Amino acid sequence: MLISNHPEEERLSALASRDDDATTDAALASHVADCVRCTELVTELGALRASLADMPELAPTRPLRLLPPVADAPAAVGGGVGWVRRMFAPVMAAGAALAMVGLIGTASPVLQGFGAASGAAPDADAGAAEHPASSLAERLSSSGGEAGAEDGPAAPAAEPSEDGSLRGEVAGRSPGEDGAAGYETLGDPPASRDDFVQLPAERSPWPMVLFTGLALIVGALLLRWVLVPRVG
Amino acid sequence: MTHASERTPANRTPPLPDEAAVIARAADGDRTAFTQLMEHYQSACYGLAWRLLNDADQAADATQDAFVHAYRAIGSYRGGIFRSWLLRITANASYDILRRQQRRPAGPLPDPEEGAPELADHHAVNPVAEATKSELYRHLEVALRQLPEDQRTAVVLCDVYGMDYNEVAEMTRSALGTVKSRIHRGRLRLRLLMAEHRELFIS
Repeated sequence: MLISNHPEEERLSALASRDDDATTDAALASHVADCVRCTELVTELGALRASLADMPELAPTRPLRLLPPVADAPAAVGGGVGWVRRMFAPVMAAGAALAMVGLIGTASPVLQGFGAASGAAPDADAGAAEHPASSLAERLSSSGGEAGAEDGPAAPAAEPSEDGSLRGEVAGRSPGEDGAAGYETLGDPPASRDDFVQLPAERSPWPMVLFTGLALIVGALLLRWVLVPRVG
Repeated sequence: MTHASERTPANRTPPLPDEAAVIARAADGDRTAFTQLMEHYQSACYGLAWRLLNDADQAADATQDAFVHAYRAIGSYRGGIFRSWLLRITANASYDILRRQQRRPAGPLPDPEEGAPELADHHAVNPVAEATKSELYRHLEVALRQLPEDQRTAVVLCDVYGMDYNEVAEMTRSALGTVKSRIHRGRLRLRLLMAEHRELFIS
């Protein structure tokens, strides 16, 4: 018997594969039972499924390597050396970074100067402590020119001073103006810091940084070489 | 819905006679036992990979990847049908390659009539029947290659290798309804492609 309003073909395919939702659909089953076309389609799809399920396996076209290399095996690395593997890359990276910074610092005169200055500053304070007679006021008055040259607005705060009037002029200047120019009017050239602070010999930290970096790299390589077993 | 575990087609690789013991040895690190297993199932794995990828070299790569993964994971194998376990790994490896492929620009479509590997011969009892079946399989391989990739993947995994809808959905990272729809549409399209060879179907 031919019937119009056939169910969707996907529903018939579901019936052919005996899906639960299709086999329990009474209306679908009833339609298929009465419809030659749908019965044929379900039968044909069932045969197609059976043919697909019967398809044979395929021989590889080239020989396959059946066993992964030893390196792929879950290697039983001892727990004692596991940390060497984990830490190797970070330590190498830190060593390389330090060595690079040290190398640049050693090679560059600008950085060398910075390194020397930063290294000398604490020593200068220490030197000041060794001379209790040189009070803060004395140090400021002695090095006033330097301070003015470095920091204009700080100069007016360095009172009391003998040259109060002149200093008043300077104090009257706005903080944004050139403090160094204001101090030039004082007449006396500023005393050198060396007058009251004995600076120790300057030492650059960059060679030490370079050496530390290289030591880290060599140490990490040696540890890895000695402790980690080689596979494959 | 049939499951892989319920179906044992005659022309599929049967389990090894002492498979459980071989698997146990392989799980203990016996490389010879592992090689024996892979040798036994390599046609099954390669066939699945080839049907999913449509390319002999990529299929070999996927099979190789699957073996490496199986070697690492065999310690966690918890029983069941080993062939199904291995096929799931192979399907995942193949699908990974498919996903990587989809991120790259598509090359020219392969000729569906070309490049099909030889069928693995597990039994040849009746020459006439075998010739008829070989003809059917050849046409089915060609028709499968003409399906859109998503439909082909779903039909191959479900109808050829007997995975259930949930497995296919998980493997292809698709919704269950999407998978069902792909399978049914793929099957209907396959029926049209095989229209001239219906008399060869297994009834």
